[in-house]
Amino acid sequence: MKMKKLLAVSAAVAMSATLLAGCGSSNATAETAATSGAAATEAPAAAATSAAEAAPAESSTSEAASTEALAAPEADLSGTTLTVLVDADTAAEGYEAVFAAATEKYGVKFDIETRVGGSDGDNLVKTRLASGDIPDLTLYNCGAKLFALNPTEYFYDFSNDPIVNSFDDTFKSTVTYDGKVMGVPVYTTQAGAVMYYKPDYEELGLSVPTTWDEFLSNCKALKDAGKTAVAGSFGTSWTSQVIYLGDEYNVLADNPTFPADFEAGTAKYATTPAGLESFQKLADVIPYYNEDYTATTYDDAVDMLANGEATHWISLTQALGNMESLYPDAMDNIGVFAIPGNDPDNSGLTVWYPSCWYVSKDSANVDAAVTFMEYWCSKEALDIYNANSAAYGPSCIKGYSLPDNALKCVKEDMQSYFDAGKTAPALEFETSVKGANCEQFTSAVGTGQMTAEEAASQYDEDCKKQAVQLGLNWK
Amino acid sequence: MTKTARSRLYSSVLIGNDVIYMRQPRVFIPAADFYEMEKVAPMKKEKIYSIWFLLPAFAIFAVFFLIPVLSSFFYSLTIWDFKTFTFCGLDNYVMFFSEPSLNTSLIHTLVYAFMTSGLKVLFAFFIALFLTSKIRTKSFIRSAVFFPNLVSAIAVGITFSTLMHPTKGIINIIIKAPGGSTVNFLGDPNIALFSVIAVDVWKGVSIATVIYIAGIQSIDSTYYEAAQIDGASFWQRVWNVTLPMCAPAMDSVIILSLIGGLRCFDLIWAMTGGGPGFATDVIDSVVYKQYAAGFYGLSIAGNVIMLVLISIIAFPLQHFLNKREEALS
Repeated sequence: MKMKKLLAVSAAVAMSATLLAGCGSSNATAETAATSGAAATEAPAAAATSAAEAAPAESSTSEAASTEALAAPEADLSGTTLTVLVDADTAAEGYEAVFAAATEKYGVKFDIETRVGGSDGDNLVKTRLASGDIPDLTLYNCGAKLFALNPTEYFYDFSNDPIVNSFDDTFKSTVTYDGKVMGVPVYTTQAGAVMYYKPDYEELGLSVPTTWDEFLSNCKALKDAGKTAVAGSFGTSWTSQVIYLGDEYNVLADNPTFPADFEAGTAKYATTPAGLESFQKLADVIPYYNEDYTATTYDDAVDMLANGEATHWISLTQALGNMESLYPDAMDNIGVFAIPGNDPDNSGLTVWYPSCWYVSKDSANVDAAVTFMEYWCSKEALDIYNANSAAYGPSCIKGYSLPDNALKCVKEDMQSYFDAGKTAPALEFETSVKGANCEQFTSAVGTGQMTAEEAASQYDEDCKKQAVQLGLNWK
Repeated sequence: MTKTARSRLYSSVLIGNDVIYMRQPRVFIPAADFYEMEKVAPMKKEKIYSIWFLLPAFAIFAVFFLIPVLSSFFYSLTIWDFKTFTFCGLDNYVMFFSEPSLNTSLIHTLVYAFMTSGLKVLFAFFIALFLTSKIRTKSFIRSAVFFPNLVSAIAVGITFSTLMHPTKGIINIIIKAPGGSTVNFLGDPNIALFSVIAVDVWKGVSIATVIYIAGIQSIDSTYYEAAQIDGASFWQRVWNVTLPMCAPAMDSVIILSLIGGLRCFDLIWAMTGGGPGFATDVIDSVVYKQYAAGFYGLSIAGNVIMLVLISIIAFPLQHFLNKREEALS
């Protein structure tokens, strides 16, 4: 009998210990991004003060561009609670601050639910939509991934709402499906680019590379100096795609009509030399990765770059937002340059358009949600957002310029590409065809399982599945 | 074999949520008793119960099993987006078998299923042998052996992927301490699948052990006594008495672990997500990814392939094992 009791107790202890261990690791991954429940209750006070600070400071500079759409709407939404589904990879500080400000201003409350990012998150969103369990506001990608959702079935059409007039035209095309404007940008544009740790460049006297060969020789110099030249974060597998996807500017430089030809099924990666090079770049950097790059996560890589444990990290510049919230003092050490191509005179940035808010059209709160979206696009809300979450690219709202305290690497390094007109949208914003297994192919090349040629031709086949699903006539 | 005969020959063991049917050792029924039973059993039984009594059960079976299975056969021949479908013949199947990103999963699934099953059958037998011998802390060790099975596969997966981290994981820290070179358990495409297999065996060996224990304990001690009197050594007794007499238990272990291995998903998804690249993709993870991508027709075709694969492996195997069992007893 005693023995049994002892067993029961020890089993219970062991089980709860495992339970805690499980919780611990899942918390660790979500830590930097969102702690929705707890943070939401703390946020109002902080946001209220930041809103108060932001308002007078900005009023002096706001005369430059104040259009109708940038004014906050008047409404009373008290008693309404909007349910919100967000992903864990989007920095929470920004939207939480705007939510808190809206609660203050309109009385509307928010019930935030955090989901995983990546393909698991896509699956979750699709399942929720298919089963009719749709939150009032859903945060999701625009472009090809939005179009794969069959969005007009589920989401509110903003076409007749005045806020769409303030949308940047290229951005607007990435949320327009069947002539209907489905989404409102959550944050700013961003780029798939190389973020680098400037002190290492100064130490070795390196200069920002303008061609891919120069980039590789910089990596070699860094490796010879005993540094980790490139941070690989394959533990978060979508990050493995960025070298290839972010090379789109260079593909377009060689083949200006590539996106249209690709969608038509006439251009293939395997037979386009510049496209093949995009895959080859994945293989080129293998020798320079950190030792544990197959298990390193996005969050780990943020730490590595901010602390100078790695010199380069090729990822989406949204990471600057995560980095800024963790290491605000380290941001002056971080620079950004575009993934280099072959022509030293034509180096350009591949731009990503932001995830958007989508309003469920069958929701009982659809009017409140739309009013909130109008507030979201107002200068007041944009300022609150950018004051709490560092902008990582120029805004998608016309006539809105980033506050003066925006990150140096965004205002200087990235803005220079925009000013020179050397930017191109990533392929997923130009065509609705994106291979579902893209991240598997890029990590297969990045771990040396496939050559660039094999991956390119198999990726072409993979894209065919999407084309077939979309009803395109690919042979 | 009729239903009543089956329930007489099999005893059920409830483990977790699974009911496991196990064959009991055959009972010798003297001929006289047998005739007695025949006489007593009324031959009019069939007329007492109308066939319509089957209807409620059949309705549930049809709604929750038959219709979904048949509709999945249909939708696997289409391009489907939940609202509309386009018939495309066998294109989905052709795609599944011809594309390397899909068909490598077939090989991985077979390797995974046969390796986990084989290792479980082997290890569990010796663990069960040890746990049925005369040792003092028997019940504690039995609980300890069963413990991994109480933890969810996701928790096990996350825990082990942390332990197997190439630089920070405890396993590699231990390897490094005496000067060994670290192993990238889950990141090296050549060994990632085997790392997951090892964890699956660690987690799943307990169920097999419990089944073996039940089988070994039901062996009549007279066999051992007889063997001992004949001068058989311990290993001779294991080989000639325990092994053939617990054949029914072993067959259950083989079938259960093989089917479990063919269907494995949660552990692989938690540990590697099918990666790096496609190195640990099994049919289930491919099906899940196609579903996540919105290729519902293709995803269902994968499911049908899995159903057929499991059927063509499991049914002949069960038939073979049953035959062998009958030959042994």
